[in-house]
Amino acid sequence: MTFSPLPAANKRILPLSMVSIGQKVRLQQITGGKRLTHHLVEMGLTPGVELTVIQKSGPLLIAVRDSRIAIGRGIACKMQVCR
Amino acid sequence: MLLHIALMGNPNTGKTTIFNALTGMNQHVGNWPGKTVEKKEGVFTHNGRKIRLVDLPGTYSLSAFSPEEAIARNYLLDSDLEAVVVVLDAANLERNLFLAAQVQELGVPTLFVLNMMDAAAEREIKIDTAVLSRHLNAPIVTTIARKGEGIDALKTAVVTIAAKKSAEQSILPLELNYGSEIENGIDELCTQMDRFPAILERYPARWLAVNLLEQDEMLQQQVLKMEGGSALLTIVQLTDNRLQTAVGEDVEIAIADNRYKWIHKLVEETVDRPQIDMLTRSDKIDRIVTNRWAGIPIFMLLMWAVFKLTADVSAPYLDWIGGVLAGPVTHWIISLLTAVGADGTWIESLFVDGIIAGVGGVLVFVPVLVFLYLALAILENSGYMARAAFVMDSAMHRIGLHGKSFLPLLVGFGCTVPAIYATRTLENEKDRILTGLLVPFMSCGARLPVYVLFAAIFFPDQGGAVVFGLYLLGILTAVLLALLLRKTSYFAGEANAFVMELPPYRMPAIKGLWLHTWVRIRSFLESAWTIILASSIVIWLLASVPMGGKGTFADVAMEDSAFAAVSGVIAPAFEPLGFGSWQASSALVSGFIAKEVVVSTMAQVYNVEGDAEAAEFPPFIEDVTFIFSSFAEATVDTARAIPLIVGIDLSSEDDEPEPTDLILAVRQNFEETSGGRGSLAALAFMVFVLIYTPCMVAIAAEKHELGVRWMWVSVIGQLLLAWVFAFIVFQGGKVLIGF
Ligand SMILES: Nc1nc2c(ncn2[C@@H]2O[C@H](COP(=O)(O)OP(=O)(O)OP(=O)(O)O)[C@@H](O)[C@H]2O)c(=O)[nH]1
Ligand SMILES: [Mg+2]
Repeated sequence: MTFSPLPAANKRILPLSMVSIGQKVRLQQITGGKRLTHHLVEMGLTPGVELTVIQKSGPLLIAVRDSRIAIGRGIACKMQVCR
Repeated sequence: MLLHIALMGNPNTGKTTIFNALTGMNQHVGNWPGKTVEKKEGVFTHNGRKIRLVDLPGTYSLSAFSPEEAIARNYLLDSDLEAVVVVLDAANLERNLFLAAQVQELGVPTLFVLNMMDAAAEREIKIDTAVLSRHLNAPIVTTIARKGEGIDALKTAVVTIAAKKSAEQSILPLELNYGSEIENGIDELCTQMDRFPAILERYPARWLAVNLLEQDEMLQQQVLKMEGGSALLTIVQLTDNRLQTAVGEDVEIAIADNRYKWIHKLVEETVDRPQIDMLTRSDKIDRIVTNRWAGIPIFMLLMWAVFKLTADVSAPYLDWIGGVLAGPVTHWIISLLTAVGADGTWIESLFVDGIIAGVGGVLVFVPVLVFLYLALAILENSGYMARAAFVMDSAMHRIGLHGKSFLPLLVGFGCTVPAIYATRTLENEKDRILTGLLVPFMSCGARLPVYVLFAAIFFPDQGGAVVFGLYLLGILTAVLLALLLRKTSYFAGEANAFVMELPPYRMPAIKGLWLHTWVRIRSFLESAWTIILASSIVIWLLASVPMGGKGTFADVAMEDSAFAAVSGVIAPAFEPLGFGSWQASSALVSGFIAKEVVVSTMAQVYNVEGDAEAAEFPPFIEDVTFIFSSFAEATVDTARAIPLIVGIDLSSEDDEPEPTDLILAVRQNFEETSGGRGSLAALAFMVFVLIYTPCMVAIAAEKHELGVRWMWVSVIGQLLLAWVFAFIVFQGGKVLIGF
């Protein structure tokens, strides 16, 4: 899944696991398994949605659409985001 | 007529709280997603209408991801509901509306409940319910379920909507626009479906098209079973392939995305909120509590506090109940029996040696359990439990599990049975079975009394350390077992991905905490009246039947009774473990039924000939004063013990309790069977109790959740492990100490 407007040159794409605490990013794409990706999208992690990383310690704690979701490091590596 | 209504909604939105408020029942409520894993039913009457209400597990969408989500979804599709009540968290509306939209697309009569209006108000979120209701094409009721606000209005609305369905009002399904390409695909599929009348009879065409394009596996399987099903699925697959190239992404994701876009617009139109996105209070707490460095120490500290609370703070009440049972209660029963002329007969023996010794021996531990369950309730209801899973995720990963497995394990310290059911929140079957196999090693509340008793007898000075050590041993066993099992071919591989919603921290409501604790204590007391009473009487009977010609009924020395003979048969198996007496064996055998029974059996089999009849009882009034004054003393002692948690010792003098007959008898017996190494044998005994089968009900839960095969693996494995561990403790200890 991709977010339609092409990322501008200064918008670096990186995995969510690289984002540091307190940063707000935009979700670009999830490259995990189909079922899991679908589940994440249904939980509100749609392409283009804004995420804030609240905590990182092993898993990540992210804020998305008023909910707080804990995400294991493994999946966080498969979530592409841009600033 | 009974009107049939189901409660649905995202996890942790307050469905069970609403269910309890409507039906007056007390189902388990807690602040973590996935507490309710099985549907629960209740009935209530309002305005002369009788409603059958079903509380379903929380689900994020109708395409089920985990087994408990499947229950909710199948229930909606397969049962004949008058209406569904969808509970929405007003403070998290956007995500909650996803399920709401899906339910409306299905076109069942729906009532929406905007719950948690207090939490929304706190965050200055205002919702225009009239407009929202119009767009969703369904009535909306607002509630603060925890405070009982809006429940009456909800009852009326439920009755109204249920009655409407029985009047056969047709409901228009909601039609969202999924974008021109997908809409074309849907139209095309709908036309093709005319060829499959059998399927269309069961499902509305557009809904079926959308959901098959969403790759709903369960729906696919159901369709496959119907006439023309496989042909239809092939057509869907072709359309799906074409659409995928057209929209440039997976169709199911494009559909979900478009649904969220529709929701986003709806929210912009109906929700008014401050734009600044600030960190909530929960976020600020989480910055500390889930911190990479502070998280685990905070967790350890909390666990230690729970442990101290249960062990130290409850101790004075423990003495109090013991005193009341042995003193006033026994006096009164004997006096009563004397009054009816039954003193000195077998009836007195039944009451004093059977029932009071058995049931009373267990009731003594109620205070310990009250504090244990209270502590767990606080952890659960505050929202910390979910954080513990977050904090422990990395550590759990190292043993091949993940954070979510941690919740059942933690619940296991309270009771193994709900813990085994809680494994259902794990999506992956192997994770689920593995966690289910480990849960019994978390020492449950019912095992605690055994440790407390034995620690008091054999390790009066290091009692706390010994009990703590046993808990640790259980955890360690689980860790090693997890590592080992992950090496086997069946469990090989990584744990499934960890995704879990963390609820906001909430101040636990006192009433909720009390209910929570009380429900568990009540079930403990219920087992005291049923299982424990029954087994106490059976044991008393067996113990009263003379064997080998010595004594008469109800007047026979324990060691000459049928009970001694029966238990003696298996006693040799425990000889290498240091406790090969028939008394110890009998306690372990009855402990197979329930761990609560171990202590009561001991109280009975070691019952030293009391000469209660000869004693002069204090006057009635003195007994009553004793109950109250000693309760006051216990309360004072408890208050003194609370600072102990942080290491401050306020108690003035160390008053050694008088060793009771039970203590003396147990000590003597264990010294005898172990050749003078009583403490070592006692340690081995405690280890055995820790590791072997928790109780019959737990076995039933394992059968239900893991299947018969894994149930047997679990039961036999635990027995073997228990024996081996106890053997190592006793024989290894002998070598170490160098006897
Ligand atoms: N602030 C607030 N909290 C509430 C309200 N209703 C319920 N809660 C709390 O929300 C938490 C979750 O409640 P439950 O009733 O267990 O939620 P559930 O929807 O049954 O959850 P699952 O069974 O996990 O799907 C509990 O801590 C409740 O006390 C409310 O109106 N306001
Ligand atoms: Mg529930």
